[in-house]
Amino acid sequence: MCFETKERRMKIPIPESSITVTIKSSGTAFATKEFVIHQKDISFAPDTPHILSLMPNFRTSTLNLKWSDNGSDFPYGLDALWQIQILRKEAMEVVTQVTYYSKLTHEDVILSWNWTSDMPLECTSHYVKIRRYINATQFLGPKDWSDWSPEKVIPGKDTEPGESGVFPLDPVVAVGSDLTFCCVHEEDQRITNMTYGSKSYKMMRLSSRSHAIRVLNASVSNSSGTNVVCRLENGLEGSVAFVGYAPDSPQNLSCETPNFLIIKCTWKPGRPSGLYGDRRTTYSLFERTSGKNVSCEVSDVNKDHVCGFPVLPDQKTYDFILGVSNPIGQAQSSLLVDITQRVRPKTPEKLTVTGNNSTSIQLRWFINGSFAEIRLLCQIEITSSHSDRKLHNVSVPGRKFSTYTAELNALHPDTKYQFRVRCSAADHFWRWSDWSRGVEQTTSEAPPARGPDIWRERSPSGESLRVFWKPLSLSETNGKIVSHEVSCHQLETVLERKTVPEPSNSTEIKLGKSDCEIRVVARNGAGSSPPSRITSVELPSDNVTTDQAVAMGNGINISWDSYPNMTCGYIVKWCHSSGSEPCSVDWQKFPSNTTNAVIKSALFKPGVRYNFFLYGCKSVGYQLLKNVTGYMKELPPKTAPNFIVEETSSDSILVKWEDIPIDECRGFLKGYLLSFAKGEKDVLKPRLSESGNPELKVNNITDLTKKSMKILDLQGKTSYQLELQAYTAGGLSPPNSLYVVTKEDSVGLIIAILIPVAVVVLLGVLASIFCYRKREWIKETFYPEIPNPENSKALQFQRNICEGNKTLKTLEMNPCTPNSVEVVETQPTAPKIADTEMMSPAAETTVPEDGSDSEMENHVVVSYCPPIIEEEISNPPTDEPGGSSQVVYIDIQSMYQPQIKPEEEPEIDLVTAAGYKPQMQLSISALKIEGHSPVEEELDKTAGYRPQTNTNAWNMGTPDSPGSVESNNENASFGSPCSINSRQFLLPPKDDEDSPKPINTGWSFTHFFQNKPND
Amino acid sequence: MELRAGDSWGIFTFLCAALCNLPALPALNCSEELGAGQSIQQTYDLTRYLEHQLRTLAGTYLNYLGPPFNEPDFNPPRLARAERVPSATVDLDLWRGLTDNARLAANYRAYSRLLCYLRVLDGQVGTAELRHRLAHFCASLQGLVLSIGGVMSSLGYPLPAGPAGPPAPSGAPPAPNDFLKKMDDFWLLKELQTWLWRSAKDFNRLKKKVPPAVVTLRLEARGF
Repeated sequence: MCFETKERRMKIPIPESSITVTIKSSGTAFATKEFVIHQKDISFAPDTPHILSLMPNFRTSTLNLKWSDNGSDFPYGLDALWQIQILRKEAMEVVTQVTYYSKLTHEDVILSWNWTSDMPLECTSHYVKIRRYINATQFLGPKDWSDWSPEKVIPGKDTEPGESGVFPLDPVVAVGSDLTFCCVHEEDQRITNMTYGSKSYKMMRLSSRSHAIRVLNASVSNSSGTNVVCRLENGLEGSVAFVGYAPDSPQNLSCETPNFLIIKCTWKPGRPSGLYGDRRTTYSLFERTSGKNVSCEVSDVNKDHVCGFPVLPDQKTYDFILGVSNPIGQAQSSLLVDITQRVRPKTPEKLTVTGNNSTSIQLRWFINGSFAEIRLLCQIEITSSHSDRKLHNVSVPGRKFSTYTAELNALHPDTKYQFRVRCSAADHFWRWSDWSRGVEQTTSEAPPARGPDIWRERSPSGESLRVFWKPLSLSETNGKIVSHEVSCHQLETVLERKTVPEPSNSTEIKLGKSDCEIRVVARNGAGSSPPSRITSVELPSDNVTTDQAVAMGNGINISWDSYPNMTCGYIVKWCHSSGSEPCSVDWQKFPSNTTNAVIKSALFKPGVRYNFFLYGCKSVGYQLLKNVTGYMKELPPKTAPNFIVEETSSDSILVKWEDIPIDECRGFLKGYLLSFAKGEKDVLKPRLSESGNPELKVNNITDLTKKSMKILDLQGKTSYQLELQAYTAGGLSPPNSLYVVTKEDSVGLIIAILIPVAVVVLLGVLASIFCYRKREWIKETFYPEIPNPENSKALQFQRNICEGNKTLKTLEMNPCTPNSVEVVETQPTAPKIADTEMMSPAAETTVPEDGSDSEMENHVVVSYCPPIIEEEISNPPTDEPGGSSQVVYIDIQSMYQPQIKPEEEPEIDLVTAAGYKPQMQLSISALKIEGHSPVEEELDKTAGYRPQTNTNAWNMGTPDSPGSVESNNENASFGSPCSINSRQFLLPPKDDEDSPKPINTGWSFTHFFQNKPND
Repeated sequence: MELRAGDSWGIFTFLCAALCNLPALPALNCSEELGAGQSIQQTYDLTRYLEHQLRTLAGTYLNYLGPPFNEPDFNPPRLARAERVPSATVDLDLWRGLTDNARLAANYRAYSRLLCYLRVLDGQVGTAELRHRLAHFCASLQGLVLSIGGVMSSLGYPLPAGPAGPPAPSGAPPAPNDFLKKMDDFWLLKELQTWLWRSAKDFNRLKKKVPPAVVTLRLEARGF
């Protein structure tokens, strides 16, 4: 074969296995090339496929690609692979590349492929190209992809001049979707920002005229949609995104007919879609049997959605499909109903009462609907003021737009009734209709159903008879009772006839001594009741007993023995007040086989006595059998019993009391409590029973017949307080008090005077006898004829004491010749020496210093024996008052002047053992140890003044003394004047013992402080 | 029954009655009996009432439109298509230079058209509560249109030709997308506010020019 071509390529048929190819060039220069081609060396690349069409759907951002597979060029059944590439933007960035598979059928087939972009197609240009690979199995050589087809382009809005806006326009998407918006603008404009709702998003550049934002996981937009705004330098572009939910499938779909004209289907819509206006959820009702479709107008205000479907002639069963759709999605719900089983009739209207007598009534109502195919069951509600709500069902055949009637019997006369009615299907109950409006009707009156319950009572005189009757109950009156007719019959003759108008419930008949049969009829507007009869005969009764009864629970229990001859039962009669007349009589009848009764009445009050009379009924008359007094509840007596003191003696009181009136007893009296105790009349005194007086005595008097009591064993001329209380089972009455003074007991008084006188006289006599017998001894002892002090027992007695206690030197009489001290001159040292000398006779005694007591000091002061050495005390202080006194006062300061002389200390040593402490130098250290043991005092021989008593008992510092103020610190000062003899301070000591130390260390200091409070 | 001018009770009663009944009346043929001064006063009062009513309505409605429409500083450039809403942004001096008649006629025409747009708006709102409030406002605005007509006729001016009732806004095509529709709504409310503000000034000025005479109201004839 020879092919001629001007190109530099050539197509030749594929050889079976190999082929020799010779290429010759024609023209001036002649050249030949020859080579062999084997089939396995030939590679197989199919023709470039050709895109037939590329269709954009801007609303859904979808591209539709169509191309032909050129299958006719290839044998049947080869596999073909198609590679499709999507490119975007001016720069042709590859967005995606997919491989599509098909089988060649040796026919040209148009293939189609859809792709949805995540970027709105308006935002920027999208390009598509395609290539193919055919798996030619018989071909031995290498196989290859075809070349890429030329790109098909869907130009973006940014390529069109003058085009601008935010894309996509008004998209409706499901919640949770990711959204991409782009803003296309003029070339010369600049975007300020892009917002979705109130939020600004980061922009992606798509081209010089297009920018995009990406919103992830969009949430439900508000009712007008979410605004996407692109702000330009001098302009504004925008779009509105509607993000919502696909509709829920309707729940609780239910269809019923109210009138066989229309079928009403209701359902619950479920979750709101979040879309409104044109994008809201729409509903349509499709009936499959008839193929009829109805679109439903539902308002978004109602919770339950309702849609009506017409009832079709000759169709009972309906197969409904409720379709729900909105731009995001759709759902449906189906229901198969037989409408004869789904009838809920319309509310009955025009309910009226037509016929009316005392016990029956006719009702009439209308139902707007065509119920010819079914029976209706209607329910009539009957309510009246004195009976429970009743429901009366009537089943009526259904009719077309008809009135229905029903008759109600067994109503009560003269009663106001309310009626209302509702209906449903009788055979296949589905639902009741609503209740109709109510009507009210009062039935007419009828004669009273029975005669009243009657009783009669003879007047005390026996001349007249009072007839009582009880009002009939509301259910028995059958109308308003106008009057009662009372007549008195003797055999068949009427003795008397009386008409008593309401509301009287008794009348009196003058009967004289005769008896008759009394008949009472009640009369209302409609007629008279049958008569009630009672005989006036009262049979005599013997040994009628009176019992007591207290209510157990809520009624008073009365029991009696069985009386076999009481053939027509028993009657218990009582009064509603405890007073005798007039009283409102009440009674109760019991059959003849009863032997006890519980009488209950709301009128019974606690603490009131009621008298019950039990009558037996015989054919000839009534006989009183028994009396019972009773209380509903026993209370304590209301008042205290009155009581008086009848008689008083010196040891007893006779008390008398009166009964409490029955009205004030308020219970069965059980007894009295008489209590008494000593006590004066005092307003503030508490009651005896509350005073807790240990002498209180209480007498319990249970014998009610006893009306007095004598209280014995009382004291004479004593005031007693008496209290009397009555008591019932309900408690104690308030007490009544009296004060009584018993009479004087004269014998006791006489005895009380005589006994002591007698005793005194007796003692006097005994003393006289004794004195007389021992008169010699007495005289010898007390009145000797020559008094001898030595022999005097009394004085001896004293001396013995002196001897027994060596410290008592006062009555050391022998050498003691009293002398007077004569003070001649004041010399500082002299008193000290004199002191020392003075006490020398006592030096031999070893009396411990602290053993000296106040008594001893007295001895020292009073019975002072003048010193023997008279001349040594010849220098008394000049200020000694008078010369006669044995006591010498010296100034304490002058006394201390010698303290500075140390040479005098040895002298003091001599007298340390003595009870007396010489008034030597007084140093601070000496003062410190005062009050210590004698052993310690050895150490303070240098001490000046020593008090002659226990120094602990008084304080040496008398801050008030003027002398102390003048003294300096070195001389611890003693401001008080002091007896030379006693060395005791003459001014009373102060209670400053608490702080001896400060006084010692620096007295003026302490004085200063101590003085202050004294100011 | 006579009411003296200046009787505040009477004015109040009449204002209430007018508010209730004006929208229902086919035309305000009763106004000539009122006297110009009286009807100007009433129109002024009604304008102030509407101003107040719009203030709350606009707040609710802009919130319904969502951001950025409810942002206080939102001031979008007025798109060319929004010009279909009659603009009240005429130069003030120019406006004052007009005759009373021209101004009243402009007011009458503007409210008639604004009313038409408002009715369209009412039909599109998604929430029932807002729809109810818009309907209420529309009824009040209708009353104002009739009231202005009354003032014009009492002053002896002819009613301007054109839509007096509520014909459909046929001239303007519906907005092509929801965002532009929202922009229209925004501008409608804005223009309404400006118009009401300027009308109040107009009527106030007119009121001073035409002092209220002693007017006899024949109320029994009105069925009050």
